[in-house]
Amino acid sequence: MTQSTPGSFKTGKGKVKVPFLERGINHLAGVIRKGYVQWEVSSRNGFFQKIDARVKVLFLLFFIFIVSLKGTILPETYIWVFVFALTLFSRLSILKVYKRVLLLGFLFGFLVALPSAFNVITKGEIILPVVRLSKAYHFWIYPIPADIGITREGIYGVAMLTMRVINSLSLSFLVLYTTPFHEIMRALKVLKAPDSFLIIITLCYKYIFIFSKTIEDMHLAKKSRIVRQLSRTEAREWIAGRIVFIFRKTQLRCEEVFKAMIGRGFSDTMKFYGFRRMRKADWCASMFLFFAGIFFLFI
Amino acid sequence: MRLEKVCYSYHDRIPALSEASLDVTEGERFAIIGANGTGKTTLLHLMNGLIHPSRGKVLFKGREVSKETLREREFLRFFRERVGYVFQDSDVQLFCPTVLDELLYGPLQLDIGEKEALDRAYEVMKMLNIESLRDRPSYMLSAGEKKKVAIGSVLTMNPEVLLLDEPTNGLDPKTQCFLVELILALNEANKTLVIATHDLSLVDELQATVAVLSEDHRIEKKGSVDEVLRDEGLLLKVNLIHEHIHRHGEIAHKHVHSHYPLHRHDR
Repeated sequence: MTQSTPGSFKTGKGKVKVPFLERGINHLAGVIRKGYVQWEVSSRNGFFQKIDARVKVLFLLFFIFIVSLKGTILPETYIWVFVFALTLFSRLSILKVYKRVLLLGFLFGFLVALPSAFNVITKGEIILPVVRLSKAYHFWIYPIPADIGITREGIYGVAMLTMRVINSLSLSFLVLYTTPFHEIMRALKVLKAPDSFLIIITLCYKYIFIFSKTIEDMHLAKKSRIVRQLSRTEAREWIAGRIVFIFRKTQLRCEEVFKAMIGRGFSDTMKFYGFRRMRKADWCASMFLFFAGIFFLFI
Repeated sequence: MRLEKVCYSYHDRIPALSEASLDVTEGERFAIIGANGTGKTTLLHLMNGLIHPSRGKVLFKGREVSKETLREREFLRFFRERVGYVFQDSDVQLFCPTVLDELLYGPLQLDIGEKEALDRAYEVMKMLNIESLRDRPSYMLSAGEKKKVAIGSVLTMNPEVLLLDEPTNGLDPKTQCFLVELILALNEANKTLVIATHDLSLVDELQATVAVLSEDHRIEKKGSVDEVLRDEGLLLKVNLIHEHIHRHGEIAHKHVHSHYPLHRHDR
């Protein structure tokens, strides 16, 4: 300790790589934190940002209901165009919003529904043959035809489901990106969402930010002490250890925050201070969105 | 507020307080000092009814503060309205979306009308000079601002007793100075202040009545600030001061180290 490290710096070969798993977690934590901050400080000059949160929450519920009722692609496309226009008027970054919408739509809409496009599941006219078997089989309750391929009806079903998912996501992102979190919570409270649900959501939201920051800090603290390449096993062990640490820390923080809430008089209900009165502009916007919804409902 | 032979241990195994008895009178400035891990925070938690003693009693205005009594709606309100607690870690205390929400949280929980709650919030913001932070979320505040908001969030409840856990910890000198002045002003306004700290200069500045916690979690001594801070042997025993070597130019010498009252050089 009393002696300094001997020797001077010598140049040499070799690079130290941060393990993929760790980089991935750190990146995810960064994305969460960035998203959280962007959400809270997002510009409030667009069309949708100016509307009262209650109107937006009702709009979201009403339109998701309409989207799930539609049985053909054309009205779904009209709805998509309408939401796209609203996103544009709200001055949101189209690229940023639709990158997420399309990625999630692809994962949870297209990929999930894709198997149903085959004639094994959806009978119909094959438009894209994939495999030809020597004969037809019967496996458990499924008859497997000799010609396996994608059917017209199947692909229509996949497209329909993907459109529904994309529309629901576009609507959700439009509302989320134009409404600060606490306003959504207040709107839900006004709309009589249960208090326990609101408490859980609020605390989870807060924790996600705090712990994404903790994860980033832990990653940096480790990075500052790394002098060699870590093996995958070491990386996995470190991550497993940190997960346990975070879990414990979450528990402790949860207890502390709850004590702080009790200390400030919390008993069992969430109390928010009242909303501002609905302005003329809010009423106009709500009428416009309502009639747009009615239009889409009947086309 | 009175504590009678209070004992507390975490998970029934790790002792945190042992036979602690205290008497805090109305309008008093009271400091609980002790090294890290002596039980200062635990003591404040007990005084705020957040945890309850395994033995002994905590009394507020003659009534016991226990799990049972805090289940009574009237007493719970009576107690929470009158005793406010500022946590050491402001992040724990700031759980609302914006500063204004933080300030309104307490009054709204106490069913104070919206108009009055807002009036209180604006008054406190003005007093703490945080009006410009009104709509900011807590994670966008500096440590000093967070501390001010945390104190503000309790002040809007207008408590008679304020429990402050390490209020000056991690703050810059200017904010520390602001805080000391604020504490004195609150005391002038007849608020009872109980401060847990290991900052001896703060205790000296506040001229508080002092209780010293030892490392075996007992109250080692109670007395006036002069009685306690001049007792070098006691402070050494409870690890609040220590001997260290430092240099004045070419001369190195050793003395008992404390930032205010005991910093003297033997010739």
